[in-house]
Amino acid sequence: MLNNIFISITNTLKRELKRMISRPIYFIGTVVIMAFCYVFFLTFFDEGQPNKMPIGVIDLDNSSLSRKFIRNLEATQQVKVVMRPESYTEAREQMQNGSIYAFVEINHDFAKNVLSNRRPELNFYINDSYLIAGSLVFKDISYMSLLTSGAVQREVLRAKGVEENRIMGIIQPIALDTHLIGNPWASYGTYLLNVLLPAVLQLMILMMTVFVIGVELKERTSPAWLGNAGNSIFAALTGKLLPYTVLFTILGIIGNVLLYSYMRYPLNSGIGWMFLDTFLLVISTQAIGIFLIGVTPVLRDGITMAGFFGMLGVTFAGSTFPIEQMPYQIRIFSDLFPIHHYFNVYVDQALNGIDIRYSIFSFLALLSFIILPLFVYNRLKKAAINQNFPIK
Amino acid sequence: MFKKIISIISDILNVIKHEFQIVFKDRGVVIMMVLAPLAYPVIYGILYQNETLTDVPVAVVDYSRSQTSRELLRHIDATQNVHIISTFSSLEEAKEAYNKRLVHGVIYIPADFNKKLCSGDQATVSIYCDISSFMYYRIINQACSYSVLDMGKQIQLKRLNANGITGEAASIISEPIQSSGVILYNEGAGFASFLIPALLMLIIHQTLFFGISMIAGTSREENRFHVLVSSSVHRGGTFRVIVGKSMCYLFIYAAWAFFVLGVIPHVFNLPHIGQTIDLIKFMIPFFMATIFFSMTVSVFLPNRETGMIVFMFFSLILLFLSGVSWPQSNINGFWKAFSWIFPSTQGIQGYIKINSMGAELKAVKYEYISLWVQTAVYFVTTCWAYRWQIKKSSRKAMLL
Repeated sequence: MLNNIFISITNTLKRELKRMISRPIYFIGTVVIMAFCYVFFLTFFDEGQPNKMPIGVIDLDNSSLSRKFIRNLEATQQVKVVMRPESYTEAREQMQNGSIYAFVEINHDFAKNVLSNRRPELNFYINDSYLIAGSLVFKDISYMSLLTSGAVQREVLRAKGVEENRIMGIIQPIALDTHLIGNPWASYGTYLLNVLLPAVLQLMILMMTVFVIGVELKERTSPAWLGNAGNSIFAALTGKLLPYTVLFTILGIIGNVLLYSYMRYPLNSGIGWMFLDTFLLVISTQAIGIFLIGVTPVLRDGITMAGFFGMLGVTFAGSTFPIEQMPYQIRIFSDLFPIHHYFNVYVDQALNGIDIRYSIFSFLALLSFIILPLFVYNRLKKAAINQNFPIK
Repeated sequence: MFKKIISIISDILNVIKHEFQIVFKDRGVVIMMVLAPLAYPVIYGILYQNETLTDVPVAVVDYSRSQTSRELLRHIDATQNVHIISTFSSLEEAKEAYNKRLVHGVIYIPADFNKKLCSGDQATVSIYCDISSFMYYRIINQACSYSVLDMGKQIQLKRLNANGITGEAASIISEPIQSSGVILYNEGAGFASFLIPALLMLIIHQTLFFGISMIAGTSREENRFHVLVSSSVHRGGTFRVIVGKSMCYLFIYAAWAFFVLGVIPHVFNLPHIGQTIDLIKFMIPFFMATIFFSMTVSVFLPNRETGMIVFMFFSLILLFLSGVSWPQSNINGFWKAFSWIFPSTQGIQGYIKINSMGAELKAVKYEYISLWVQTAVYFVTTCWAYRWQIKKSSRKAMLL
């Protein structure tokens, strides 16, 4: 019995390997697309953090103080003064056409007013339509304006004869010391790539699983497929999907190595846990793929659902906007996405490096997806034999 | 001459009618070109309806246990962003709560906090932030620095008084420059207001592309010669076929544009300060460029599913190429040039500038002209591709 199944699986495997070289889509949908994504995302975010973003300064004062402020701004990591608009209107227009992400307005007699204790205004305007650029630029500009203010305070306090070792305690009585757990560089690439690359992997696994099964139904070759596997749907599915399990696991592990070894993104656990995480992501996603094509054994509907599910996975992984902060009714859906559990393991292991027992639940959740095909075994088998669904 | 114009128009009308039938008879195409553009914006609107994080749970380790430290913590807790859910006696215990995901940050107040404040030194407060999401770090840091600055101001005044600086002079020293940051166009720094406008345009671009490639793939599968344009239609000539088909898509999507760009931003309270007339003017070249781009690419897709399998992941790539998330100024030369191929790049940028930032059409001149250039280029490529297909078809027919 066991021997029979083994032979059936081997036969199906051989058949599938032949099919894989028959059309370019098998190669494109696996290796080419993943390779393209690795090259794209790794070169796209190679800066890690967007630096030297363009801003403008309206300097109506043109004093040594305002020039010093601008020089200081130039020295920050994320800001670059690329233009000196003459007026607020001009600056706003430059912001609206996207040339600058922010501008600072230094009024006439700024320096004079500082010296004569008239507390001049220093306003800056940030465009948060581009939230990432906006918040990073905001941080640097407000830091510089605090520093400029502090420099003035220091001068005045010295002039008043306050002791030097007292001055810092007056300018800034409480200092805030911010630590980022696990990712000391706060690189934007780290936030994104750890979820985008597995998200693309999940999408392609779904698409290809649905495709390789659905195309048999569509081209009316499914009876031959099943017959070749000794009429065992288990053997037919295993033999058919095994090459993709291997292929996608290898592609996923290449992704892990690229992120943690090549890019040196935070890895505070053994890389082996991430390999395991990737492998479980592959098989759990394949199980969902079988389930989808089992529910509607029509290739084009299956593909549409796979695409829908795969794209939602990017949101439900939980990196872009935390799941916890979504409305309750939506939160429960996140558990239906393997990538959500994959991401939780990544946070626990690679990012926070905590004990593996905290991740056991996530690993089990990933494993539990494997029972999904059981629900559609009969339906899929009938569809394969009877061809009782539209093929278009 | 007059007769010829009449015949051209009637041919085009026939093609439009025929194409409408194709679109609405094919369940797959209906899902892609009717259901998806209506459902996706609603789904994303609901998913991202919370613009910002509220009451992010954090833990506290307070070694100072003084009245001042308690006051600071009360202050932090009172912000909308952060909620202190538990107090621990050591960092180890707090870490355990963090590992269990009960909290997303830890505020640590050292034992010498109050002593330093009493003696006039600078005291330190440490925070540890979860950075599994960019949002946690931003929100916790923001709430704490706001509270620390605020409390610092009061202590500063007391210390100035202690140094004999009082009244007007003290308040001048405490704030010699009145600096303030004003956030424009997305005042609440909301996540949805930032992301969804880009997604809306991307949804239009992608559903149009997948719909057109599905139609092309199907007609290829169904025609005897595996070519794109069925012989019953192509008698009217390439030009008429292309104009007719593209007008059909344009009509359908004009209606969707009203819903996606006109209704959705109101329903979900997203930015919508643009002039309607500017938006309409801008959308015309965007639709035309997208349609002709899709028609050109679709010629190379052999089956109805191929387009979705091969290009679905590309939606993510297009989102990043558009420069909404990672700033456009920091996209390197190669990928920037690559992004010019796709109408979505200029479409998303132009839409955000008009819709979210209230720019006039002349402020998005660059995007507007680029889209017209793309329209022209892709119209020509579509003509070539279709003519090539029609020739191929008639050659095969003659051989038979």
